[in-house]
Amino acid sequence: MKNAAVVFKKEIKEVIKNKNIWMPILIITAIFSIAMPLVFILGSNSILKDEDTLNFINKIFGQVGDPLRVLIGFILKQLLIFLLILPAMVPSLIAPSSVIMEKENNTLEPLLATPLKTSELLLGKSLTALVPSFVISTINFIILTIVVDVAAYIKLGYAPLPTMEWVIVAFLLSPILSFIITMASVIVSSKSTDIRSAQGIGAVIIVPIYLVIGLQLAGFFLLNITYLLIGCLVLLAVCPLVLRLAVKIFDRENILTKWKMKA
Amino acid sequence: MIKVENLTKKFETITAVENISFDINESEIFGFLGPNGAGKTTTIRMLSTLISQTSGKITIDNRSPESDGEYIRSIIGLLTESPGMYEKISAYDNLDYYSSFYSISNTIRKNNIKKYLKMFDLWDRKDDLAGTYSKGMKQKLALSRALIHEPKILFLDEPTAGLDPESAHMVRNFIESQKKEKTTVFLCTHNLEEASNLSDRVCIIKRKIIRIATLSELQSDDKNKRVEIVFTDDADRYIKLLEEIDEIKNIQSDKNKATLVIEKPEISNPIIIKKLVDSGAQVLYFNEIKATLEEIYLDLIKDEEAK
Repeated sequence: MKNAAVVFKKEIKEVIKNKNIWMPILIITAIFSIAMPLVFILGSNSILKDEDTLNFINKIFGQVGDPLRVLIGFILKQLLIFLLILPAMVPSLIAPSSVIMEKENNTLEPLLATPLKTSELLLGKSLTALVPSFVISTINFIILTIVVDVAAYIKLGYAPLPTMEWVIVAFLLSPILSFIITMASVIVSSKSTDIRSAQGIGAVIIVPIYLVIGLQLAGFFLLNITYLLIGCLVLLAVCPLVLRLAVKIFDRENILTKWKMKA
Repeated sequence: MIKVENLTKKFETITAVENISFDINESEIFGFLGPNGAGKTTTIRMLSTLISQTSGKITIDNRSPESDGEYIRSIIGLLTESPGMYEKISAYDNLDYYSSFYSISNTIRKNNIKKYLKMFDLWDRKDDLAGTYSKGMKQKLALSRALIHEPKILFLDEPTAGLDPESAHMVRNFIESQKKEKTTVFLCTHNLEEASNLSDRVCIIKRKIIRIATLSELQSDDKNKRVEIVFTDDADRYIKLLEEIDEIKNIQSDKNKATLVIEKPEISNPIIIKKLVDSGAQVLYFNEIKATLEEIYLDLIKDEEAK
């Protein structure tokens, strides 16, 4: 455990210095946690003036007393899902960089020749992706909550967040997703010598996120606690599979003889 | 210190190392020589517990890599052929990071970092990013990394590759000094002069072991002996005469010197001397030339290829 902490400490220092990792995160934060909620909530009156929007609300929710509240509730469901982009994106930016840089610099062999266990190396590298992912996602959920609550309070005189759905997404779905993406990134990185192609795993996971949002907007279903918990359970079942594969790949002999290395 | 018995490593259909056996004593410098693809790196990787053997047995400091891999890794230092460094952190932080994985106190760790950075003239640039170092400086930093925990066994793969003559000399002196420290050195090199000067014994390998011996044993076993004859006048005058002697396998001449390759000096030398004296040749010197490790190595590899 001490050795995993040493790996984590060194890796996290490099992550903090890496602008290529921080810039997209800041952009996503600015768009999805600040700009979008402000625009949607403060501009909700204008949105409601649109006849199609009213028809949409009636179709999904039936005849409601306060369409503004319903609309804001619906927007929040989309924003929460949008924010899942961060726990998907952060590990997919950090983990491949951490693994592929070792290959590029030929630092893996001397590292594996120390008493460091491969499980400690995997743990240290995984934490390097997981911890920032969790911290950044939580900060973003908090920023979103503050922005939404302040805007909604100004507009409607009430603070809609946090909700149970918010808690599930922030503290259950988001870490599970981070874990899966981290392990998947490690697996993909072992077979790749190009950071960008390995980082593509984050882009792949964004597709189902958009799909969920698209299906909600199309009126096929509406995310609720039950759906979110089912989603968590399904993803949780995937966790041991990706972990087992990552552990298998992070074996000394595998790393030195089967990983694709820079020529 | 290192005992290898019938070691074989196969990668799917390719046999990288086949049935090799050797013993290396404590504080011995063991030269491990062979052409590219001979299995040198594979052997080092097996001995340093990085990969497992397909069959055979390895014992290091009376322990087995299968059951005591972590212990073995704690007593070895490895300099790989292409030693990499974390380019975006300082040289000092590189050593600090690697040394953190060994069970040594912080004080010893910091003292050792200072000791080796100073030894290899890197102390003044300890805070510079490793990425800004020249190839030679990186090689010295990598060597410091291999030594940072003062290992009992050092595996050095091409330790002087890429170094300028002064640094290479420094590294060779350092390797030689390791005998006094009772460190066992497993030295892989293509520089045969270096191997010849440093090694107590050499092992020549090409998938299988061709020969393990000291340099003097190799020289005395070499079937191609060389003698040099220095004449008072031009050696070319005597070439025809020498060519008549069947025992001479090859003749080369340069000004007043002729170099002969013979198989059995005890038989051929008296014949050569008699023939030269009878012909009235003015011989200034008649010397035995000991074959260099390079010559012996090339002969052995050539013979192996011919098999």
